[in-house]
Amino acid sequence: MSLINEKKDFKIIADLIPANSSVIDVGCNDGSLLEFLKEEKDINGRGMEIDQQKVQLCLSKGISVIEGDADLDLYDYPDNLFDYSILTYTLQATKSPKNVLSELVRISSKAIISFPNFGHWKIATSLLIKRKMPISEKLSYSWHETPNLHFCTINDFIDLCEEAGIRIEKQANLKTNRLNKFYGKNLLNSYFNEVGLFLVSKIKN
Amino acid sequence: MNENKIVELATEQALVLDCGKSLKSFKTAYTTYGKLNDAKDNAILICHALTGDQYVASNHPITKKEGWWSYIVGPEKPIDTNKFFVVCPNVIGGCMGSTGPKEINSETGKVYGTDFPVITIADMVRAQKLLIDYLGIEKIFCVTGGSMGGMLVLEWLSKFPEMVHSAIPIATATNHSAQNIALNELARQSIMADPNWNSGNYYNSDNKPLKGLSVARMAAHISYLSKDALHSKFGRNLQDKSSLDYSFDADFQIESYLRHQGFTFVDRFDANSYLYITRAMDYFDVSSSNDGSLIESFKNTVSKVLCISFTSDWLYPTSENKKIVKVFNTLGINVSFIEIETDGGHDSFLLEEPKLFEAMQGFIKSTYENL
Repeated sequence: MSLINEKKDFKIIADLIPANSSVIDVGCNDGSLLEFLKEEKDINGRGMEIDQQKVQLCLSKGISVIEGDADLDLYDYPDNLFDYSILTYTLQATKSPKNVLSELVRISSKAIISFPNFGHWKIATSLLIKRKMPISEKLSYSWHETPNLHFCTINDFIDLCEEAGIRIEKQANLKTNRLNKFYGKNLLNSYFNEVGLFLVSKIKN
Repeated sequence: MNENKIVELATEQALVLDCGKSLKSFKTAYTTYGKLNDAKDNAILICHALTGDQYVASNHPITKKEGWWSYIVGPEKPIDTNKFFVVCPNVIGGCMGSTGPKEINSETGKVYGTDFPVITIADMVRAQKLLIDYLGIEKIFCVTGGSMGGMLVLEWLSKFPEMVHSAIPIATATNHSAQNIALNELARQSIMADPNWNSGNYYNSDNKPLKGLSVARMAAHISYLSKDALHSKFGRNLQDKSSLDYSFDADFQIESYLRHQGFTFVDRFDANSYLYITRAMDYFDVSSSNDGSLIESFKNTVSKVLCISFTSDWLYPTSENKKIVKVFNTLGINVSFIEIETDGGHDSFLLEEPKLFEAMQGFIKSTYENL
């Protein structure tokens, strides 16, 4: 997806994953992240992708991929099958982000989630000044043709995690390329990060 | 290189069948394409469907038509005969040279007829395993097939997991549903209702149960097609006439088409074989030897698998194929899945479907490169 600054995001995700982990990339696109992680961390990877042409691409690269829908097909996996699940730039396009999040932390020990932050100052400014739905590098569709159903801000995401019993362990700062300990909700976080990238896990009862 | 070969197997130790009986010195007719390499790591086993046979990529000796999977098997095709050693055996119980009801029982010197033991999909696979052993192949690079062929693939994955590097089960199921059994029973009853069937003793008679077999084929053929495809191909169009005849002749094109399918089928298929093979499919439940547990049945499977289904297949629908995917996922098996959109119905795996071509080629090529 053109949204992704591949090298930067891939590297940060790779830094979050220990070598030899089992990983499912939900919405795995053409499989390039899985390939990258295979090379960097020798992961045992699986993909899920809704777009059949991209499924075909994955097959031709030797990536194990399920043609499937994050909203419907995660239920088919047993608890804790994977060490890590990854959902990059897909959460906002799901019908039920809360269920998808809950499923991801059910089928894997930890989940890595990234999404375009609707609270970023550029977007907020576009709405506030121009009174138009924002179009940016990370949000490249106009409002009437966007596949995105559920935009959220970083603060919204933090609230959703709390509601769904999900612990945020780390947050990436994609500007500085650093992984930070998660300090909690604050205005600056939602204001200055174009992308939210989080490492989360299920809070055990 | 690809001419039909026949080998006698189980010459020393009889093959014990699920029904308790056994077959000694039974014949398997098979074709091969390409060459087994020195590493013996390039063998692909193709399992045919109910009415298929070993002529997968060569002209059929009776119909003279090209092989049933020539779209997929051949030089530069997904199953590339320049690269792979392809083996396609006729299943036991079949009628193209492998031991089946129309062959001579070596113990009595007479044609088997309905004395042939009732066989299962597992029996067919055990027989295929003897052929693979005979060919000196320890590990098959890929086992593939559609419909009943897909059942054989699943059986291979379950019973001989260490022998299968990768597998492509297509348009299939882990067991036969009540609807599947019902359709097969309809076909069997139409054969047995033909007086020429004569309890299966018709091989020395001039009158063979061709009408019964033909009706069986007509009924089955409907189940291989989708409603949309039938509608777009035939609609309510009349056959060589402009108005209804007010008779029971073939007024509609679809009637004429089905009759043709039935008539031509009987030239190349044996009615008793049809009974035996449909029975084997009905009995099929890959988990039956594990008290119905699919997880237990595939717990030793380590192969890389690609499951394929077709949107308009109502005989072995996507939901049945997804069941396989779910089990494999649960076991952490390296499984891929693709659902191909087409109105071609169950028969799609036999048609020139570019997306099937692409998926199989991508999977086979990349899997062999990463061997």
